[in-house]
Amino acid sequence: MKFRAVMIDTGPMREFSNIVTTISKLSKECVLRLSTDQIYFIVSDDNSGPTPPILWCEIPQSMFFSEYQLIGVDDEHKDIYLGFISANLARPLVTLKSAKTLKMKLTKKQCPCLTLEIEMPSSTSPQTRHVTHDIPAIVVPRKIWSDFQEPQVPKPDISIELPPLKQLRTSIDRMRTMASDVVIRASAEGRLTLQIKTDMAKVSTRYKGLRVDTFEGPIEHSDSETESQINEDLSRVCVCRVDAKKLSMFLSADQISHNRIICSIVHKRLVILCLQTDENVKLQCFITGIVY
Amino acid sequence: MESGKTLCSLLKAIQFQECAVFCAMPEGLKLTVEEGKCVQASAYIPADNFTEYHVRDEVDVMFKISIAVLAECLNIFGSGEESSLKMYYRCEGSPLLLVLQPQSVHNVMTDCEISTQTADSLLDLRDEDAEEVAKLILKAPAFLGLLVDLERSCDVLELNLSPEHPNVSIVTYGMQDRSCIDVPKSSDMVQSFSCEEPITLKYQLHHIRLIMKALALSTKVVLRFSSNGLLLLQLKLEKEDQKQMFSEFYIVPLLDD
Amino acid sequence: MKCHVPGPNVKVLGRTIHALARFGDELYLESLADCILLRTLNASESAYAMLKFNRNFFSYFNYNYYSTEDNEGLKCKISMKSALNCFKSPAHMDKQVENLEIKLDPEQCKLIFQFKCKHGIVKTHFISILDSKAMEAVYTKDLVPNRITSSQRILSEAIGNFQNSDDQVTLEALAQSVLLRNYIDANVDLSKIIRTQINIRSVEFDSYIIGFETIITFTMKEFKALLAFAEALSLPIQLQFESTGKPVVFIIHNGSTIEAHFVLATSKPDNVTQGTSTQNSSRVEKSKRKDSNLEQGSASKKLHLDMEVSKCLDEDSHLFNFVDIPCDIVDKNNCDNIVNSEKTCVNNSVMSAMDCDNIPASPTSRTMIKSVFQRCFESTFDPRSIQRVVLAENSDSE
Repeated sequence: MKFRAVMIDTGPMREFSNIVTTISKLSKECVLRLSTDQIYFIVSDDNSGPTPPILWCEIPQSMFFSEYQLIGVDDEHKDIYLGFISANLARPLVTLKSAKTLKMKLTKKQCPCLTLEIEMPSSTSPQTRHVTHDIPAIVVPRKIWSDFQEPQVPKPDISIELPPLKQLRTSIDRMRTMASDVVIRASAEGRLTLQIKTDMAKVSTRYKGLRVDTFEGPIEHSDSETESQINEDLSRVCVCRVDAKKLSMFLSADQISHNRIICSIVHKRLVILCLQTDENVKLQCFITGIVY
Repeated sequence: MESGKTLCSLLKAIQFQECAVFCAMPEGLKLTVEEGKCVQASAYIPADNFTEYHVRDEVDVMFKISIAVLAECLNIFGSGEESSLKMYYRCEGSPLLLVLQPQSVHNVMTDCEISTQTADSLLDLRDEDAEEVAKLILKAPAFLGLLVDLERSCDVLELNLSPEHPNVSIVTYGMQDRSCIDVPKSSDMVQSFSCEEPITLKYQLHHIRLIMKALALSTKVVLRFSSNGLLLLQLKLEKEDQKQMFSEFYIVPLLDD
Repeated sequence: MKCHVPGPNVKVLGRTIHALARFGDELYLESLADCILLRTLNASESAYAMLKFNRNFFSYFNYNYYSTEDNEGLKCKISMKSALNCFKSPAHMDKQVENLEIKLDPEQCKLIFQFKCKHGIVKTHFISILDSKAMEAVYTKDLVPNRITSSQRILSEAIGNFQNSDDQVTLEALAQSVLLRNYIDANVDLSKIIRTQINIRSVEFDSYIIGFETIITFTMKEFKALLAFAEALSLPIQLQFESTGKPVVFIIHNGSTIEAHFVLATSKPDNVTQGTSTQNSSRVEKSKRKDSNLEQGSASKKLHLDMEVSKCLDEDSHLFNFVDIPCDIVDKNNCDNIVNSEKTCVNNSVMSAMDCDNIPASPTSRTMIKSVFQRCFESTFDPRSIQRVVLAENSDSE
């Protein structure tokens, strides 16, 4: 196994740092999968054993690295899967924002490590300084690679563009102090509502005029949980109740300079948030619906 | 109301208890919280802060509400955003309705229903027989500056007022040490000082510290001392639109043992 | 003692107190004819700081204001917490304070800090004096082979690469460059911790003299505190050190009014060096490895670093030695008096006294790590014996 990669452009280095920081906010541990064309960050649910990933991030290597060398265990297993404590990866990478170059390589120094060699400019002279971080990693054995495959999800009933994440997150964070879960509803007419309901208060934040990418209605509403709003055709509305904290965590991804964020809903079952950047980075987050 | 932002900060400044008594009078809104039987704090928003304000004359509009929930709802678009606010309340038992709309974004709005309860009676700390023995008007930021530097671990704050120099003296006792702040009435931070006889009063520092958040929002503070030691602090908050809001704290003194 | 500190210098004094507070819980204040000294020592006696404010730092200076006898300044110990209380927010003190008067109230046994502030406000702090003693550490500087002068910025930037959880830093001084590493304790799970190394070339420093390549490890908390102090005053830092196990001295001064010495004990280099480290370090690593078991025992106590006390009293080597002089000693040179004072100190179980100014260079490493002052508490301890002791060659004996 061998891996070596070099980054020399400040833009991608900053972006890479933002991505890893965001991932570290979403999870304690993550898996980095290195393959010939893409690198992936994969997060499984912290508590619940082998389940499909809850976060899937793919990064085309050619957009980020000027040099990229990868040799797997053998011809059939060309990829390398490494497990990390997310924060261990994120904290050294924060310094990339002012770095000149980054070299990444797989090393063995008493334990397997991803070694980062960062060349930093000196503030006091034209010299550069070399900072080396050895980040301990776990080499994921081949037999459990299958736990980290891209999740197969049912076809969403609706895909709708989200308003600016920062705005959305502010509102969700206020709601989060009052209730543990929030109901997301999206209509084919481009309306998005976030709602909480407790003994103390009922709060709804409504957006309108959002772009709808796809709609696969009509939606069947079998129970009375969904309250209809005036002049609204319920069969064109999708609903899903999710954990407010998880939703808020994903929304902290606003650090990554994205060009669009799509929210897809499988009625009452799943919310998929997908962020795409100009460099073709795709970050997807899967939040399972809460059913009462 | 054009912006609920200031109202929200004012509520947060007195949010040291879960619930507040919400009282709508023809003159304005008043929210009151109490800490034990020792401190009573109110936020008062005169009616002229609202672009529209209607209260029925014949009934007292008074109910208990979670001040935390109210503050969170007012802040739903974040503290950086000015949001217009509409507030409705029908009758006893019905929820307080809020509609908020940010000024900078037009495709979003939030509506809230906050449940209300029948109000408990509030303490009346004022004693009609006790006359005012001293009155002090200070610049709020400078007064806050003094309070911030007081040692947190002290329990008691001693206040000495006297017509003689140094007029105002704030004393705190630490583990082994004693600290003392003297403010003469000639100081820039003192806008008015009246005191006929020297007096010494003690308060729990913890109680005095409760006013700090409100002080941070205010421009001016009036301290009134009654002959029974009760301290009334009236804080004035001036908004950009020249309108004023107020907060008021009654603090019961510590009696010598 | 009575002195006045002008407004802008009050901020400097405030910064000083905040830096010292990161070192110790007690503050020793001593006024001499031409300066005031502030000193502190941390609880595990592995870090010491001394600040000297020259007479011209003050707008008024009278070191024996209340004293009837000449030649006597003030010596006292106060709690660091009390001192911190006086300087709550040093950042904007210069804007509020016009003048500070520090004086001793001999009757109440209080030290008085009186701040004359803007708006005619006067803040007075009456601080209890806990003790009337001075404390002094003895350490070698100037004569040591390794001296580096660095702008504080280089070091702060380097430290910025470490994690907040890193509590000790290893400095490897080579002829052409300095390597800084986070220290990894031998019993730490390597699969959990990031190992970081920073290579700073000698040309980055203002001056760079390495007469003897070595590796030293010291605590991060105090290092950060002194860096913050240097940063607040925008002054460069001089590092002076000898070898593993010998204290490192950081000197920060502005040439005229203040001089600060921060002394940190150093321990042996980390057992776990990075693969990228130089040959030199791996050589040292090998030679140290056999000691690692012994080291672990003390490493679990974390701070009490390499302050070896050998078995033999005559060879007793102290990192810090304290001169403990009660107020009423008139003639400091009187030998009996010193002995007396040393006895007091033993009873107080605070400090010991020793006369030694030069620590002979000792390249050998030792394996025993004990509390420095352990000897002092033993019943057979004879304070007089210590007087004769010139800090001897450190022994390899166990």
